[in-house]
Amino acid sequence: MRVKVNDRELELAPGTSVIDAVFAAGYDVPYFCSQAYMSPIGACRMCLARIGAPRKDRDGNWLVDDATGEPKVFFFPTMMATCTTVVMEGMVVDTLSKEVKDAQRGMVEFTLINHPLDCPVCDKGGACELQDRAYEYGTGRSRFVFDKRHQEKHHPLSELITLDRERCIHCKRCVRYFEEVPGDEVLDFIERGGHTYIGTLEEGLPSNFTGNITDICPVGALLDATSRFRGRNWEYDHTFTTSLDDASGSAIVIDARTGRIERIKSGINPEVNKSWIDDGIRFGHEYAGDPERLRRPLLRRGDAFEEASWDEAAAFISERLGGLSGKDVGIAIRADATLEEGVAARALAELIGTGQVDHAPRHGPSLVPVHGATLQDLATATAVIVLGDVTEELPALDLRIKDALKGVSPPPLFAHGVPIADLRLKERMPRARERLTVVAPYRVGLMQHAGRPVVVPVGGEAAWLQAMTDVANGTDPDEGALGMGRAEAQGLVRQWREASKAVMVVGGFVLASAKATDAAAALAKAVGASQLLVPPMANGRGLEITQVLPSHARYDYRGMLAGSAKALLLSGLDPARDPATAARLGACELLVVHDLFLTDTAKLAHVVLPGKSGYEKDGTTVSLEGRFLPVRAAPVDNGEAEDLTGVVKVLGEAFGKRLEGRSVRSARRVLRKELGFDPAELDRLGLLHDLPRRRSGVSVGPRQEATGAALRVPTMVRPEYLARNPRLRAALGDLALRLHPADAAGHDLHDGDEVRVPVDGAPWRLRIVLSEAVPRGVCLVPATPDAPVGRAHVALEQVVHERRALEVA
Amino acid sequence: MSVLDIAKGMGVTLGHLFKKPVTVQYPDEPAQIKARFRGRHHLLRHPDTGLEKCIGCSLCAAACPAYAIYVEAAENDQEDPVSAGERYASIYEINMLRCIFCGFCEEACPTGAVVLGHEFELADFRYQDFVYRKEDMLVGVKGSKWQRREAAAKGTAVRVALEAPGRPELEGVEH
Ligand code: SF4
Ligand code: SF4
Ligand code: SF4
Ligand code: FES
Repeated sequence: MRVKVNDRELELAPGTSVIDAVFAAGYDVPYFCSQAYMSPIGACRMCLARIGAPRKDRDGNWLVDDATGEPKVFFFPTMMATCTTVVMEGMVVDTLSKEVKDAQRGMVEFTLINHPLDCPVCDKGGACELQDRAYEYGTGRSRFVFDKRHQEKHHPLSELITLDRERCIHCKRCVRYFEEVPGDEVLDFIERGGHTYIGTLEEGLPSNFTGNITDICPVGALLDATSRFRGRNWEYDHTFTTSLDDASGSAIVIDARTGRIERIKSGINPEVNKSWIDDGIRFGHEYAGDPERLRRPLLRRGDAFEEASWDEAAAFISERLGGLSGKDVGIAIRADATLEEGVAARALAELIGTGQVDHAPRHGPSLVPVHGATLQDLATATAVIVLGDVTEELPALDLRIKDALKGVSPPPLFAHGVPIADLRLKERMPRARERLTVVAPYRVGLMQHAGRPVVVPVGGEAAWLQAMTDVANGTDPDEGALGMGRAEAQGLVRQWREASKAVMVVGGFVLASAKATDAAAALAKAVGASQLLVPPMANGRGLEITQVLPSHARYDYRGMLAGSAKALLLSGLDPARDPATAARLGACELLVVHDLFLTDTAKLAHVVLPGKSGYEKDGTTVSLEGRFLPVRAAPVDNGEAEDLTGVVKVLGEAFGKRLEGRSVRSARRVLRKELGFDPAELDRLGLLHDLPRRRSGVSVGPRQEATGAALRVPTMVRPEYLARNPRLRAALGDLALRLHPADAAGHDLHDGDEVRVPVDGAPWRLRIVLSEAVPRGVCLVPATPDAPVGRAHVALEQVVHERRALEVA
Repeated sequence: MSVLDIAKGMGVTLGHLFKKPVTVQYPDEPAQIKARFRGRHHLLRHPDTGLEKCIGCSLCAAACPAYAIYVEAAENDQEDPVSAGERYASIYEINMLRCIFCGFCEEACPTGAVVLGHEFELADFRYQDFVYRKEDMLVGVKGSKWQRREAAAKGTAVRVALEAPGRPELEGVEH
């Protein structure tokens, strides 16, 4: 469509909104209510422009201007909201004339009538759309001398979000967001006219994705409570990086000030997280500034620790290692380490001469699927099979699945980015629930949106997948395992097969079992679905690709802890919760712990080295879809903390060697050879780079699978840090043991009780949550890096009450 | 040069001998400071409630061309507020070595909390003593850090060797 904006003509696809036409032409209109990835609704009336178009007569001929002989342009009698107007052939848009400017100035004045103008105390000040627009398009003077509307100034919408009702300009972005993006309708307008305000029906915001409204609110009405009054927008250092909280590869922006992380906002990566992140990523950063963080290396002297320099620590370690055979040394790193740290760990293992090197948590099976899907594939799929609880395990997937149910393909990008007003998106769009099948051992949140929810018994995934594969292959299935009639199963299989694009998301419950993983692959193959495998931590796939793996299955992390290693270097791992493991660690000839805090394991160590959090590292990570993404360090005051490359550097020096991986740069030299591109050159959007499956079967071969009637379930938050994230903890509560109310009665347990209970023999302090979503006879406890998602034994009969909910009430 | 010229010159000298000297006997006598002189900052309070005027908005820090100001804000306890409103400055520091006494901070302040006063005797010995914290600038505090240190050591009152007419912005500051 040929459109003329002021003096510039351009060619645009039909369906484009006029606001995008204006921006594409390089002009500007002010706007408040439109928002990328959300429906345009024309609520704020700020985006006014004068619009005209030629008309046709009854015979379909253009009406011609007699003077010029050109088609005559008829202007609309009033100013039009450009966000809800679609471009037409020959349209003429005027954004510069005096009438337009007057209209826009008038709208700014109307918008400011009830705005308190308390910019100096507002956390949005300096990055506020209303401030900017009032400055650019307003008159700069107020004629409104009357009393302004007075409403509640700091209403805690939840522990994480503060609402200032006076500042709200009723753009409806937040209300639309909840309905359109996560599909959790928890916020709405209450009252009408000048009395309208934003509120929730019940207390709080029950959704995993509430924080995004603080990003999209055009004013300072909705604000991140963790950063309340912590700094002004121009004072923050912005670091554009990738979240290491889960394997989604979500883009984030870390705002730090004077060496402290004050808040995290969503970054934009159209092919990954669009502009949304979950609350775990957004609000779960407070631990990085915890005063108890280790800032210097600690050396054990008798029963106590003494601060030491890195060189002293390294000298101690190298001396102790000198007396040991290299084979007896184990090195285990947490699976959210960067690729560069992986290279460093490998180099150290090589220097010491040990095959006992591993990353944890790591399920047995490979995380590189045979037919991999991307997140864009998932968002455009017409059939989605979800195995597990993705809303908690990898929340970004939950949102992309909901995109798929809407059936609107990703928008084409303009030079100014994602369309500001994508007219294909509508309010309250139907979601095609029949496209979604969710299979999990309990009722997971996503099942509300699923056409076919299937609750399988604990550990029953393999049987279900096998039975469905049998249905697909036309062989006799085990009908008991199907959980539905055979005809219905056949219908489902047909639907998957016939879908133009089918994607299977495989979560931890399946990946914890090699048999179930194989069965999932077989079913995917049988119905022609591609797969997304959910790694237990951020860089599981990357560390597998870069071969941070043991030389033999029995030398894996569990094997090391079980006694194959006499000396251990643990980075970020804390296995000492289990008393048996703690006893073995205590007997180690050398235990070096590299971590942020003095964990239970660190307390047993000979040397404790201060580590960096995922916000403080430079490096590269690989997301679940195989996208290589840059991780950049925010300016955080962390004392002498080092990531693993720093550890390897000083240890190498103590041995008189310059190891590969002694710095991020040297590790990247190695990676460049292995990967075929330079990770230093990755941009924020990352690179989808397929590497051949190279894993040698022996190194990660099947290990003994966990048993038990209980389940360790994924949580959106990082349980290891929850206690040090006070806001998140207040909002979501302590780590929970969830069970069916009928089961609880038998053990004298009540909702909200705090109990001590052994999980696989390790003591846990948990809060009881009763939920009908949990099948009878099953307990759900949180998974941790040291005890990943999967089956477990919970000894309910040994429950000890720490605090009863009734006493508190 | 004639004798006459010498005599003329001596005449001028002689004339001055009997004039009133213009030398200010500072610090024995106070310096007379003009009302609009810009010296050390004061942080003012609302005279009626006694609450601090500063709301910790950092606009002064943003306006400062010398990056001399550092502000950290915190939320007021509504039962026992420090300032009027939701937030107050939990940390407010001005580095007097960096400050060029331009007065931009005073102009930027939306509440009239920071005002440049008349004190100029800021010399001190250690770098850190030039960083004035909130306690060093709140209205009622008289003298530079060094003057107050010396007065405390000697057990005398702080003596500021200046006199200045007031100025309406310096609400509550007395000399
Ligand atoms: S709270 Fe913010 S996002 Fe929500 S309607 Fe008001 S101004 Fe818009
Ligand atoms: S007087 Fe000028 S230089 Fe000094 S603190 Fe204020 S703005 Fe900065
Ligand atoms: S002195 Fe004024 S400008 Fe500076 S932080 Fe306080 S209120 Fe804001
Ligand atoms: S009416 Fe709000 S952006 Fe168009």
